[in-house]
Amino acid sequence: MERLIKILKDIEPEINYANCKDLIDGHHLDSLSIIALVGELEEEFDITIPTVEITPDNFNSPESLWAMVTRLIEEE
Amino acid sequence: MPSIPSYFSVQFLAILLPVTVTTYAFLPQKPRRIVLLLASYAFFWAVSGKLLVYLLLSTLSIHHFGLWLADNQNRCDQALEQAQKENRKGIKVLYQRQQRGIIAFAVILHIGVLAVLKYSAFFATNLNVGFNLLKLPATVAIPSFVLPIGISFYTMQALSYVLDVYHRKISADRNLFRLALYMSFFPQIMEGPICRYTETAEQLWSVPPIEYRNLTFGLQRILFGILKKMVVADRLNLLISNVFNSYQDYDGFVIAVAAVCYTIQLYMDFSGTMDVALGIGQIFGVSLTENFQRPFFSKTIPEFWKRWHITLGAWFRDYIFYPISLSKPMKYLSSKARKRLGHNFGALPASAIALFYVWLCNGLWHGAGWHFIFFGMYHFALILSGNIAEPFAANIAHKLHISREHPLYHGFQIVRTAALVCIGEMFFRANGLRTGLAMLKKIFTDFTFNTIVEKTFFSFGADLYDYIIVAIVLAVVFFIELCQEKGVSIRERISTKPVAKRFAVYYALIMAIVIFGAYGDNYVPVDPIYASF
Amino acid sequence: MKIKRTLRGVAFIAGLMILLAVSSYLLVPRNNTAAAGMEATSANGILGEKENSIDILVLGDSESYFSISPLQLWKEKGYTAYVCGTAGQHLTYSNTMLHRAFQKQKPKIVILETLAIYRKMSLSNVGLAEIARYFPVFQYHNRWKSYDLKGFKNGVKYNWAEDYKGYFYSDQVTPAQNLEYMTPTEESAKIAKTNRYFIQKIKDFCDENGAELILLSTPSTQNWNYKSHNGIAILASELSCEYIDLNLMNDTVGINWSLDTRDSGDHLNYSGANKVTHYLAEYLSGRGILSDHRGDKNYAHWDECLEKLNAKAKGTSN
Repeated sequence: MERLIKILKDIEPEINYANCKDLIDGHHLDSLSIIALVGELEEEFDITIPTVEITPDNFNSPESLWAMVTRLIEEE
Repeated sequence: MPSIPSYFSVQFLAILLPVTVTTYAFLPQKPRRIVLLLASYAFFWAVSGKLLVYLLLSTLSIHHFGLWLADNQNRCDQALEQAQKENRKGIKVLYQRQQRGIIAFAVILHIGVLAVLKYSAFFATNLNVGFNLLKLPATVAIPSFVLPIGISFYTMQALSYVLDVYHRKISADRNLFRLALYMSFFPQIMEGPICRYTETAEQLWSVPPIEYRNLTFGLQRILFGILKKMVVADRLNLLISNVFNSYQDYDGFVIAVAAVCYTIQLYMDFSGTMDVALGIGQIFGVSLTENFQRPFFSKTIPEFWKRWHITLGAWFRDYIFYPISLSKPMKYLSSKARKRLGHNFGALPASAIALFYVWLCNGLWHGAGWHFIFFGMYHFALILSGNIAEPFAANIAHKLHISREHPLYHGFQIVRTAALVCIGEMFFRANGLRTGLAMLKKIFTDFTFNTIVEKTFFSFGADLYDYIIVAIVLAVVFFIELCQEKGVSIRERISTKPVAKRFAVYYALIMAIVIFGAYGDNYVPVDPIYASF
Repeated sequence: MKIKRTLRGVAFIAGLMILLAVSSYLLVPRNNTAAAGMEATSANGILGEKENSIDILVLGDSESYFSISPLQLWKEKGYTAYVCGTAGQHLTYSNTMLHRAFQKQKPKIVILETLAIYRKMSLSNVGLAEIARYFPVFQYHNRWKSYDLKGFKNGVKYNWAEDYKGYFYSDQVTPAQNLEYMTPTEESAKIAKTNRYFIQKIKDFCDENGAELILLSTPSTQNWNYKSHNGIAILASELSCEYIDLNLMNDTVGINWSLDTRDSGDHLNYSGANKVTHYLAEYLSGRGILSDHRGDKNYAHWDECLEKLNAKAKGTSN
């Protein structure tokens, strides 16, 4: 989880991630950041994130992102 | 009144809609589905007649492809379960190849039909131009097809359905009628919104009884949409068509005003139609996906596209942008670029390539014409340059001590974005790319205020009263959108008022449409703009 | 709860009706002049005619008002006719004019020029025209721009009358070329369903009001042919009403296509109209339903109008 927050901070430093629940719906992350984020996550955790996983539900909060990452790690 | 039956025609508003709502209201659940489906096909038939066949074939096709994919997926899963661990990878690859074959077949089929109907004339024309340039003695006949209504919209819905089944996002629907209703629901068939299977199919199929609250909220929204379309959009048409059809006769100021008016017309026409579509949906207890979120409050072009024709943008994002930018070669490109260019620009090359395709498709989706392609490329260039310039802009603002959170700066951003949008829409409306460029040139080289003295604006069959009524309705729309921006729901507010006041709202809306609507002898009927895309 | 809501719905619709009626009353032209906002003033001039003074009502498009001259009919037989023809008339408007005319008049003969029967109508226009018959606000809504409170106080009064009784005078001459336009054929032109519906309504209205409907095809080399003739002939037998096609009777009517048309056979001019009207006068007197009003003091102004037309034809007017 900390690694995830660090990646997020690298990409969009200006957002307070602590209790953010609308990264996508609130237009905080644009598509460019999402591509960067996916790339970083894949590299960092050695997973593949298929495009179907890119949904507001998965990307709206650090918690939901973490849930997705752990799920994908298990599936590998 | 428009010459092709639309949601604003007498026969739709006075006959089809009330008849459908009343029969629906008095029937039990199951026959209600039939009512909706029949009304949808009746509407399609009224607009496009026998071309209904295209819709029926598309529906049958996605039903079949969905089942085919599902069947293949099942066999894959079974094979994987029974297989030894070391064989699994091979099986996966084998079935994946089959899956890809099926989905490619489906996509090519649907896009192929759309392409032949919509683009073959454009292609043949340009081929002839090419022959001509090369001095080849060959010409191809320019085919002409009549497009079934809404084909650009329902094809998108069809593709998203099969692609979602392919990605296992949803399971294939065995019920042909549920799919048929998803594809054809009459308020959205003509101009969208483009909904996903997960968003509307189940909702439509559940056919809940009509509720008082839904009915009143829906009706209010329908009336508001008609007001936007018939009082503002249709009234501005005389000025717009005159200036765009013979721009040579007007100076830059008039052209600039016409470009702004066209953007207003497009917004009032399209968002008004969406209000009618979503209002009708609400009467039947269905919440269709919102297509607009007050786009002219946007501060940047990317934000504008998240608030304007939302469902189209989302479709391109999910089915073109991410699949391309996150494809294997692009991911490789991104990771290379990240090492060289750093975090800020790492994802830029991949997303630029993906964006290029998104905007090419977006331009082409609106129609076969170079000015549409230019329109797409224009927004591609704006978004890309915005992405590149962003870090520098932040830097400069910081150095100049400009607060980018100051309301004045926001105001500047909103005006800038609107101006850029208006220029884009001018090309969108222009009769060809060359005309668009010539018009743009005139705005910058031939800008005078002489026309105000010469009263050009009153020469389009519109008088001062027309402009006053447009201004008043726009002010009302602006006020309502401002409230919505602040999170106030006008309709919720209205519903708490006493009956007399609520009646007054309906009466005011209806009488404003009846008296101030631009219909009848003095106005040329305007066909719904987005229905022709 | 349910009853309360139903009642509320009824009250709402009643209120809406009242609003539409009131706004209709407010926006309807105060007079039947162009200045007051009336459309198609020459046709609507009938509203200003003396009560029960018109024997023959003519409906149709431009063919009707270029071909039939009521004052010629007056001169020859002393019958009073009024042409409620309008440019490109749709049957919905023919129907509207019929109802309007019968408010003050009780014509014994209604003549419908047949070209209007084939004119296509969009459902939207039909719907709007029908609603506008009950709530004129749908037709006159644009008059809010020129709203005049003074006129409102005076109420609605139609007192403007048109000198030529709906006839359009034209002395242009442009010869017609295609003289063989009535080559016989077995084919018959189709009448659209909506049009068929409205022609039936017009016929029924005439029956109920004791008027005889006559279908009349006036001479036009550009707009008429044998196929159209056959279509109307079938219609006439279905409606069991009289049908006269002057295009097939040129031996009697005697149109000279190099002199009697104003625009190459599209419409007739003054001399053509007089020939058609002469035929009509003889036909109607042969029927013996109408009486001669010449010499009746109540109809004296018809002679004045006739003089004006004669003066115009001689070129001494203006």
